[in-house]
Amino acid sequence: MKQFIVFILSLYTTLSWAVLEVTIFKHDGNTFPIVISDFFVVDDASQGKIIADIMRNNFNRSGEFSVVNTNYVISNEPSFDKWKAKKIEAIVLGKLEKISKKIFNVEIKLLDVYSKKTLYKDTLTVHNNGIRRAAHYLSDQIYHALLGKRGFFNTRLAYITVINKNKGEREYRLEISDSDAQNPQTILKSREPILSPVWSPKQDKIAYVFFKNSRSEVFIQYPFIRRKIQKIPYFDGISSSPSWHPNGGILLLTLSKNGNADIYSYHLSSKKLTRLTIDMGIDTEASYSPDGNKIVFTSNRSGQVQVYIKDLKTNRINRVTFKGKYNAKAVFSPDGKSLIMIHKIDQDYRIALLDIATKDLTVMTNNQLDESPFFSPNGDMIIFATNQGGFGVLSVVSTWGRKIFDLTSKVGEVREPNWSHYLK
Amino acid sequence: MLKLISLLIVVVLLSSCLSGNDLYRKVLTKSSIVSIEDRMKHVQENVFDITSIASITESVIVTSFRKTGVNFILYFSDDGAEIDKTSIEQIIKHANFMRNNPTLTLRLEGHADERGTREYNLALGENRALNVKEVLSLYDLSSRIKVISFGEEKPMIQQHDEGAWQKNRRVEFIYQ
Repeated sequence: MKQFIVFILSLYTTLSWAVLEVTIFKHDGNTFPIVISDFFVVDDASQGKIIADIMRNNFNRSGEFSVVNTNYVISNEPSFDKWKAKKIEAIVLGKLEKISKKIFNVEIKLLDVYSKKTLYKDTLTVHNNGIRRAAHYLSDQIYHALLGKRGFFNTRLAYITVINKNKGEREYRLEISDSDAQNPQTILKSREPILSPVWSPKQDKIAYVFFKNSRSEVFIQYPFIRRKIQKIPYFDGISSSPSWHPNGGILLLTLSKNGNADIYSYHLSSKKLTRLTIDMGIDTEASYSPDGNKIVFTSNRSGQVQVYIKDLKTNRINRVTFKGKYNAKAVFSPDGKSLIMIHKIDQDYRIALLDIATKDLTVMTNNQLDESPFFSPNGDMIIFATNQGGFGVLSVVSTWGRKIFDLTSKVGEVREPNWSHYLK
Repeated sequence: MLKLISLLIVVVLLSSCLSGNDLYRKVLTKSSIVSIEDRMKHVQENVFDITSIASITESVIVTSFRKTGVNFILYFSDDGAEIDKTSIEQIIKHANFMRNNPTLTLRLEGHADERGTREYNLALGENRALNVKEVLSLYDLSSRIKVISFGEEKPMIQQHDEGAWQKNRRVEFIYQ
């Protein structure tokens, strides 16, 4: 019996240290006050509490809401006046019913305190394993019903953690988690560097760079199918910087097989390789526009490191950054109207948002060593890697310039975040 | 243009350096690989005194090689991949060493400091190593040279200041 308990404890610690810690930055005012009730639970279905907690955490982490905690079940016909007096604008009620051993019915209702109307209601049937996912899905639905835009909850993150071992040895891990950093899974573990993980548009694959053979090579891994790994053919020189076409069938790559880093597209089924840039300088960090008609990339062709867009229909290449001497690793926003990138100011590398049409560049952060910015799928948030006291962490800012939350690891550095599209 | 200039510098330096070529005449067996740096350490100031070379026993060479692990390092300027005059002099010593030890192959490992983006730094590290290879190619050695880049992934010094960054912007010479 004792052994059993020890086992449980050690299992728990293994899981708990792998979870990134979320630190939310609260902002007074201009947030939507909402109350999320504990779920009304029929039979033995303690998951009710979990669903409400996941949803509260989501709304707290959204930067748009302030959540009032209740540790009780609000009546199905709440006293609207009481909540109005507390300046609450919306109430979420839920019911969880166990219909078989591992199957639950989840009922949800969103009430507007002022109009007393039901803004959204739904019933889902979920398997025990799908409870967490259902909570994220419902959070997105409520977010949409209240703000008229999509949330970012039913999504996943991919990132790299680096653990410093003895004698300068390092352990690199490619990890994925839910958007709230829960449910972490290690996809790959190695002493050799892993970098640039990117979710495929259907979230069934992750492309990344791995120095398995002491050189940079691109691999595609199926995180939900054990040991399924696809290797991109080996070319001489570096092979790196993978990025998916929105249709999921083409991968952009940086290859130096012709003597210098240039951008290529690799058609995964036909295995056809097409060269997209020919230049004496470095061309790298390419990614597609949301419609797949353009690519944005980093080049030092002007003598400085700057961002360029190539129109794949006209084959024209235009420089898009003119402010500062170093702009790199740009990624299109989901609406295709802006770019997020690394921008150097004096000696600091910071996150900057560029409006493509107006060329307005807005610096979003105040750090020294920011890296790897990426948009949330709704385009509202920017996740990036930064350095806090010499230690790598992830940070999230909103596109309207607020610090929203940080993700840190107790055991190592975290870097190179990538945010998936919505899960189906 | 830059290439042309560096080519000219190389030719000039080459003619001035060839007289010291005997320095590297002692052909080493493959097991006794040694860096130029280590050999220079033993030769000390008296670079062209061939007699001091003879006093270096093979075991000393092997031990010092094993200790350092890395044979030789060239450092680079911030965001730069250009090879300066002193670096060219160093590279020429390697060229002579390689020509006198024809069984050796050389792996050039390019590295960058942590600033800027990882993928750009990967390409920058490669460019640094490619530029070193280009100089060595003038000695007809390119078939014996392999270039790889680790970008900013393998810093020599794991700190976040100018001192560390200077040491991390480098090309390592590894004989095999």
